[in-house]
Amino acid sequence: MNAVDGVSFEVDRGEIVGIVGESGSGKTMTALSLLRLIPEPGKITSGRILYGEKDVAQMTDEEIREFRGNEIAMIFQDPMTSLNPVLRIGFQVEEAMIAHQRFTNKQAKERVVPMLQRVRIPAAKDRVRDYPHQFSGGMRQRAMIAMGVSNEPSLLIADEPTTALDVTVQASIIELIRDLSRELRAAVILITHNMALVASLCNRVIVMYAGRVVEEGPTRAIFKNPQHPYTWSLLRSMPRVDEKEKERLISIKGLPPDLGKMPPGCKFHPRCKFRVDRCFTEEPPLAEVDPGQQARCWVLMKNIPDPEAQAKT
Amino acid sequence: MRGTLLYIGQRLVLIAVTTVLVSSIVFLLLHQIPGNAFLNETRQTPQALAAELHRYGLDLPLQNQYVNWVQGVLHGNLGESLVNRQVKITPLLVRETSVSATVGFFALLVTVGLGLILGVLAALRQNTWVDYLASSTAVVGYSIPSFVIAIFGLLVFGHYLYLWTQGTFYYVPGWGKLEQIPVPALALGLPYASYVARLTRASMLETIRTDYVRTAWAKGLKARVVVVRHALRNALIPVVTILGPLITGIITGSVVIENIFGIPGLGKEFVTSILARDYNIVIGVFTFYAALVGLANLTVDVIYPILDPRIRY
Ligand SMILES: Nc1ncnc2c1ncn2[C@@H]1O[C@H](COP(=O)(O)OP(=O)(O)OP(=O)(O)O)[C@@H](O)[C@H]1O
Ligand code: SF4
Ligand SMILES: [Mg+2]
Repeated sequence: MNAVDGVSFEVDRGEIVGIVGESGSGKTMTALSLLRLIPEPGKITSGRILYGEKDVAQMTDEEIREFRGNEIAMIFQDPMTSLNPVLRIGFQVEEAMIAHQRFTNKQAKERVVPMLQRVRIPAAKDRVRDYPHQFSGGMRQRAMIAMGVSNEPSLLIADEPTTALDVTVQASIIELIRDLSRELRAAVILITHNMALVASLCNRVIVMYAGRVVEEGPTRAIFKNPQHPYTWSLLRSMPRVDEKEKERLISIKGLPPDLGKMPPGCKFHPRCKFRVDRCFTEEPPLAEVDPGQQARCWVLMKNIPDPEAQAKT
Repeated sequence: MRGTLLYIGQRLVLIAVTTVLVSSIVFLLLHQIPGNAFLNETRQTPQALAAELHRYGLDLPLQNQYVNWVQGVLHGNLGESLVNRQVKITPLLVRETSVSATVGFFALLVTVGLGLILGVLAALRQNTWVDYLASSTAVVGYSIPSFVIAIFGLLVFGHYLYLWTQGTFYYVPGWGKLEQIPVPALALGLPYASYVARLTRASMLETIRTDYVRTAWAKGLKARVVVVRHALRNALIPVVTILGPLITGIITGSVVIENIFGIPGLGKEFVTSILARDYNIVIGVFTFYAALVGLANLTVDVIYPILDPRIRY
């Protein structure tokens, strides 16, 4: 079974790319595969994972180890469980630096407190020797970020970094990620459910469905002219302040397909309001619909005269 | 730190109380057993017997005997042997305890060392022949009682391999040679080692799937560091919780093993003294056992928060 199939996208330095999609659409799997961290018994069955010139899928164990946390760092969804409960926060940041030869052991030790200060942990000097359970959720996520950026990676993957956190700290964490990525000139992949966040933060968006990229393009274009019916529905299901109250939100009916029971043809067709005969048998390719924007659909939203009316039927 | 010291202090008081309670119960029960220490002395006249009983205060009412005994204990004096005249019990038991402790220590080494190695190997090579071999060894080890292993050990090393061992284990009288230790230690520790192995395997399998171990991989740490520092370190916590009962098991198990191998330790004295109705020694042995079990469990409880910083006293 393929949880993720034929995903391909580009991220450039200094750019923030958003990956959106329903739960189970393969966002986390895609991110983990970049670091070859797919949980057992999963594996990369075919294809290449290109990062710059390097193919992650072909690396030796030592090469991939040097690569992880050094070239690409990852921040996980749940800071409550992502830090080792029996090791001090400072040490966990330190060992991330020692793992790669970018710093000497002494330098690494000296860099811990500045790193924690850099992620805006108050009284960092006193808190390096704390254990994770002495940190709040937001502080733990900051520590995770400190760990992630400590080796100045060129790509930072943040997998729903604020989902598990209090609403009050969500914004500050996102702000922190944005600022750090600018300072380090690192690319960021931000995995999220939050379309508003994507709109305000990301240069480009990747929409995933059933383990595939179904639409990709510049944020402005995607939000203004979504071409894939799934993207369109996703944006329609998002409440907007400027909209007239009459216009009811349209939620996407049905559930995303099961891994074991992938439908033939377009994977979205069981839930698609715009499907045509061809959608039942043939899977569309990811094709350019506008310069820089690609969608995986036979029909495309621009060819539908009155989508609102059709969606309500 | 102060909390820890206070905690240790409280526990020590509790151990003392328990020890006194245990020995008091033993004291009372022991005098209900028919017969006394002097019955197997030949050519005994009733007058001589009465004189003996009087000499040791055994003709006094039980409560008076008890008071006398408690007074002695409070001065660290457990009295004299009734059978081997003039033998002071306290130094005798201290000497025997050191013998038992040596064997027990090596048994614990077998238990923890072998158990951890088998458990970790099985977990890291889950569902391979290594796992099956380690796991089935553990099941076999756990289902064979230690006295069977002891007799088997005697047979192999004392009889079949006589030419090699020169009967070190039981033909040569006397105790104190290093090569006498391994076989009884193995017999004593093996069943518990299997237990530790099974627990370690389960616990390791759980920790290597945790988020923080995934974080450790994502940081680019070496496999050895991830396994030992992050996975094993946490997997040890449940193992340490059963160490208390394990040590207790080894202490009680030593009664059987010491008698099979003729090891002049506390366990052997235990049986000998009961058979001889050597009241003072029996009570002394129980007193030592109660204190040992208490101290062993205390040691484990003190180690526990070092392994798991979330625990504080
Ligand atoms: N440990 C696992 N074992 C088996 N299947 C898994 C495992 N983890 C994820 N999957 C499956 O892989 C698919 C992709 O999951 P993934 O976690 O990448 O989704 P996601 O888009 O990140 O979802 P979410 O928004 O909930 O985080 C899902 O269908 C999921 O059921
Ligand atoms: S290909 Fe057909 S079914 Fe799939 S999204 Fe487009 S219109 Fe809908
Ligand atoms: Mg996810």
